[in-house]
Amino acid sequence: MTVPFAAKRLGKELQKISNSLPPGVELVSAENFEEWLLDIKVLDNNPIYQNQTYRLKFRFGPSYPIEPPEVVFVQLPDRPIPMHPHVYSNGIICLDLLGQQGWSPVQNVESVCMSLQSMLTGNSKDERPPGDEDFVRANRQRPKDIQFYYHDNNV
Amino acid sequence: MESFDVPDSTDWIGTPLAGLMQVEQAFRCHVCKDFYNSPMITSCSHTFCSICIRRCLSVDGKCPLCRALDQESKLRGNWALREAVDAFVKSRNTIMEFATTPVSVPTPRSPKRKATELEEPLQEGQNKRPRMATRSSKAKAVEANAVLMREEVDVVESEDTPDYEPEPDDGLVACPICWARMKSWQVDRHIDNSCPGSPQPQKVSSSTTNNRSGSGFGPARSLFQNPPTPTKAPERLPALAYSMLKDTALRKKMGELGLSTAGSRQMLEKRHQEWITLWNANCDSAKPKRRSELMHDLEVWERTMGSRAPTMSRAANMGAQIKDKDFDGAAWATKHDTSFKDLIAKARGSRNKAVQKKDEANEAGESGTPRDDGKGINGTGAMPDLLQGAVVDLTGPPSSQPEPPDSPLREPRGPTSSGVGFTGQGPILGKEALHPLTDRTSTCSSSQGPEGAPS
Repeated sequence: MTVPFAAKRLGKELQKISNSLPPGVELVSAENFEEWLLDIKVLDNNPIYQNQTYRLKFRFGPSYPIEPPEVVFVQLPDRPIPMHPHVYSNGIICLDLLGQQGWSPVQNVESVCMSLQSMLTGNSKDERPPGDEDFVRANRQRPKDIQFYYHDNNV
Repeated sequence: MESFDVPDSTDWIGTPLAGLMQVEQAFRCHVCKDFYNSPMITSCSHTFCSICIRRCLSVDGKCPLCRALDQESKLRGNWALREAVDAFVKSRNTIMEFATTPVSVPTPRSPKRKATELEEPLQEGQNKRPRMATRSSKAKAVEANAVLMREEVDVVESEDTPDYEPEPDDGLVACPICWARMKSWQVDRHIDNSCPGSPQPQKVSSSTTNNRSGSGFGPARSLFQNPPTPTKAPERLPALAYSMLKDTALRKKMGELGLSTAGSRQMLEKRHQEWITLWNANCDSAKPKRRSELMHDLEVWERTMGSRAPTMSRAANMGAQIKDKDFDGAAWATKHDTSFKDLIAKARGSRNKAVQKKDEANEAGESGTPRDDGKGINGTGAMPDLLQGAVVDLTGPPSSQPEPPDSPLREPRGPTSSGVGFTGQGPILGKEALHPLTDRTSTCSSSQGPEGAPS
């Protein structure tokens, strides 16, 4: 039986990350090839993110890695949504890497985690994106269907 | 979750041959993370599996590694890498076994010794294993050199390797002119020097000097004679400009290719695209699959991402497609403005009809005289009309009572049933309709609701 290529690729990634993950990234669960949970921490002493752990939810479509995965932060009692001008308070992340345009099939779960880590590390603004409240209230779309306008090249 | 046997480059970590992790990583495709399968090199000199890079390019036309623009037609096979990968894959298990079985001291040194082995070929006579390793790798190198040299003279020379098996899928390719089978890198030289120039399976490449290989070659020839069907290299399929193609033309093309023409236009395009990807990638392969196997691959695609994919992911795909790339929402809206307006007008018209029917029904129920007030042909009339209807419904529940006897009379006419449904639930529907009416689009959807409903 031929395995769909998304599952095949994810199988390899899983094998790799269960062996070794970069510091500050932890695999929480990967029960199937549709949804994985990972925890990330910011390692340097950026005061905004100190002593906090954030939960990331990856959802993979059948065309992964040709299409990007859907990546959001999830809120749990001990897992807040990080403050960042490109992270909405419902966990949706505005990052071109995760959009159709910026995504490349050579990216993987590990590299996405590391990009998000560095996105947080490099941030000095303790704030939400403009229009956060409206967006969070009104949005019923899946992250991949939202048309983001990527304007900030400093992330 | 299915369990897979997933060998990975990290398998080398913790073995004495940890350095092979990098080697193995270099042999793996960045897209599928598997060993390169028919590696192809891009214009920007990056290498991917044929199927991986073809899929990527068909989606966004960019190299996954450096985002440089590229085209499928510019891909070229990276045959040296293919051979290297094949060789590594073949010996991987052995090396892994060697690396994981606990052996005596010298093992960890063997990989490092490679660099110095030329200088000290025979110094370590005492130590059995490394010496073997040295000798065999050295011997191989020499042999390879010799083989190369001999091949300069005679192409068939390689045939006398002991494990040579003249099977059609042994990794050899056929000369496009005389159909003689040989290693792929030999073809050019063969065509230049020794090709007889016409399809003659017996006359394999060089009927020249070599007796030794000639004798070993005897049985092989008979196999070559019956023209091996898969040897004829399949031709690559051209990409189609779907936007220039009418439905019927696309269906015809797909029919010619033996593909299913079921499903929406979008599905047809995706299926055709996938088939081209599979087919062309197969053309790049050293061991092309048969058509039936490719069909099976397409079948798998159909089940996971095509027409029979789980609905959720299909919807997601559709969404992704519409949002894809350069979709210009504003231009789309202006372009189709008239048809949108048309739809709205139609929707309003049918709403009016429904309201009229309802009014008539009410009238009939109250006084027995059907009323035709001719209102609401134009869109603007709809709102007050409906409002009125709703108010009538809300205020006069008794008036809607006589409907049941009324409805059988109107049964034959289409819109009636919806009209009845409308009044039957008058108070609720009326209220609901009041709010969305303030904006245009929901006027459309709310009036289509009762009509389109199967009731």
